[in-house]
Amino acid sequence: MSKLSFKNVSNGDWVRLSLLVVALILPLVPFISDYILHIIILIFLYMILALGLNIVPGFNGLLDLGYVGFYGIGAYTAGLLTYHFGLSYWIIIPLAFINGAIWGILLGAPTLRLTGDYFAIVTFGFSELVVLFLSNEIWLTRGPLGLPGIDVVSIDLSWFGGPKWEFVGEVPYYYLAIAMVLGTVFVMNRIQESRLGRAWFAIRDDEVAAVSCGINLLTYKVIAFAISAAFGAVAGSFFARWVTFLSPDMFKFWESFLILCMIVLGGMGNIWGVMVGALVLVSLSEVLREILPLVGLPVEVRFLAFGAIMVVMMRYRPAGLIPIPAVAAKMKAGIIKRKRAKAPVSIT
Amino acid sequence: MIKSLLEIKGLFKNFGGLEALKNITFTINEGDIVGLIGPNGAGKTTLFNCVAGIEKPTAGDIIFNNSEYIGGKKPETVTALGIARTFQNIRLFDNLTVLDNVKIGRHCRTRSNFFGAVLRNRFQREEEKAIAESANHFLEFVGLGGRGEEIASSMPYGDQRLLEIARALATEPVLLMLDEPAAGMNLTESRNLMNLVLRIRDNGTTVLLIEHDMKVVMGLCERVIVINHGEWLTEGKPEDVQNDPKVIEAYLGTGAADAAKAG
Repeated sequence: MSKLSFKNVSNGDWVRLSLLVVALILPLVPFISDYILHIIILIFLYMILALGLNIVPGFNGLLDLGYVGFYGIGAYTAGLLTYHFGLSYWIIIPLAFINGAIWGILLGAPTLRLTGDYFAIVTFGFSELVVLFLSNEIWLTRGPLGLPGIDVVSIDLSWFGGPKWEFVGEVPYYYLAIAMVLGTVFVMNRIQESRLGRAWFAIRDDEVAAVSCGINLLTYKVIAFAISAAFGAVAGSFFARWVTFLSPDMFKFWESFLILCMIVLGGMGNIWGVMVGALVLVSLSEVLREILPLVGLPVEVRFLAFGAIMVVMMRYRPAGLIPIPAVAAKMKAGIIKRKRAKAPVSIT
Repeated sequence: MIKSLLEIKGLFKNFGGLEALKNITFTINEGDIVGLIGPNGAGKTTLFNCVAGIEKPTAGDIIFNNSEYIGGKKPETVTALGIARTFQNIRLFDNLTVLDNVKIGRHCRTRSNFFGAVLRNRFQREEEKAIAESANHFLEFVGLGGRGEEIASSMPYGDQRLLEIARALATEPVLLMLDEPAAGMNLTESRNLMNLVLRIRDNGTTVLLIEHDMKVVMGLCERVIVINHGEWLTEGKPEDVQNDPKVIEAYLGTGAADAAKAG
């Protein structure tokens, strides 16, 4: 990510640039309905979620099954702050980020000492806990009734004598979502090329070698978990102000699993892969929602389709649609094998 | 004046009922190249792990630089103090480039954090430049110059061993511990390796190495420490140790020791 100079723009950059231009002019195309825009916003939302989750399994190699818990916390916090205090969304974004990070640290600091499956189980428990809290603490969240009537996003310039402009329809949200995706990609890209990112990759590839290079495992895992949670919470805050209605069963375990599927499908650890994963799964989900009733099947059958896709992927392309560069290079050279089992510290 | 760099005093390490190390005591002086040898299962790597902080000793002291008691300290602390190591079964960051592997070695000597990464402020940019420069320097030093963009796991075995040494050197160690650096290397490669170890020592780093290749041990080490069944057996000049009946017995059994005495 160097400075903008057209001499150094590679082919990949041209593709990305043209995709961005297409995305920016899309709402102006006449046959694009609000419904289609709604789905594209959903894709963008899931891109942010997938990019955020990607930090934990993709960059650090830890299985996180409770990501949706942070999404839910972010959504409800934003919803309640808007509902009770009428806070502006532009203030809520940084608050959601900090809030998510705090929860990430609270959950991560005591549990990230656990390894592998044990950690995954704890995160799973956490997301269930969030749902139970949201449905039972009726005094705060109205429980299963849900939280309706959250204000839409608005740009309020009345303090400076300007107009107040409320987000009506999908188009303004569409551009807001693009901006947020770009922001997330920007942050992820910069982290990826930094000391922090390298420390995470080191932890992913070999924990023993990582500590021998002076990386404190717990600290870096907690940072990863906090940043991941922060992006989840920001996505949640967007969701709250976009759909203006929240209910606890929007944040069931299934959502975590779906986001995890996007990462695995797209290519764990690869920013662009993860975004492609979100694009494929969300659009497929919507297409199936339309098609399945026509052939007389219940809508839930689409979960079956996702399962089938994952099985096929694991069999033929376990590294995802767009794998990380090293794996892609190895696949090209034809030397990709089953990942070598990591030997425990030898005692010879 | 000879200054002791690493002192190990009465070190014990038990794994459940297995006594992997029993009362090990020795000293390594600054500027030495010391060999640690012994038959398979003697406890050499366990000893390394105890010094590096990966295993916590059951009893005994490990004293670094005359004053730091490092037994039971965390590995990242030990690395920061200036002890680096390589591994017997190569442990590289397989999915990263050669250059990134060495850059990670610079971790404990650099500081920039999340905010630096996102904002890319002046401090971060300069630090990042310095990291890249010194990583390239260490690659050059071990003879992997210009190969920074290769993927670590796709390099030949011998080069992977060199890369591990470069990564260890990137932490700026005072004491470098090499666990079987010549294992699996051919004659030319192990000759290059010996040359490299000598250059490392000449740059002021003390080297402690586990090695089975006797040519390498004899050619490099000024002093050899022998351990067997987790116990200190003997130590001395390589030639003396090589002919010591106790050592021959440890490696080859009593019969061989008697034959050596007779011969």
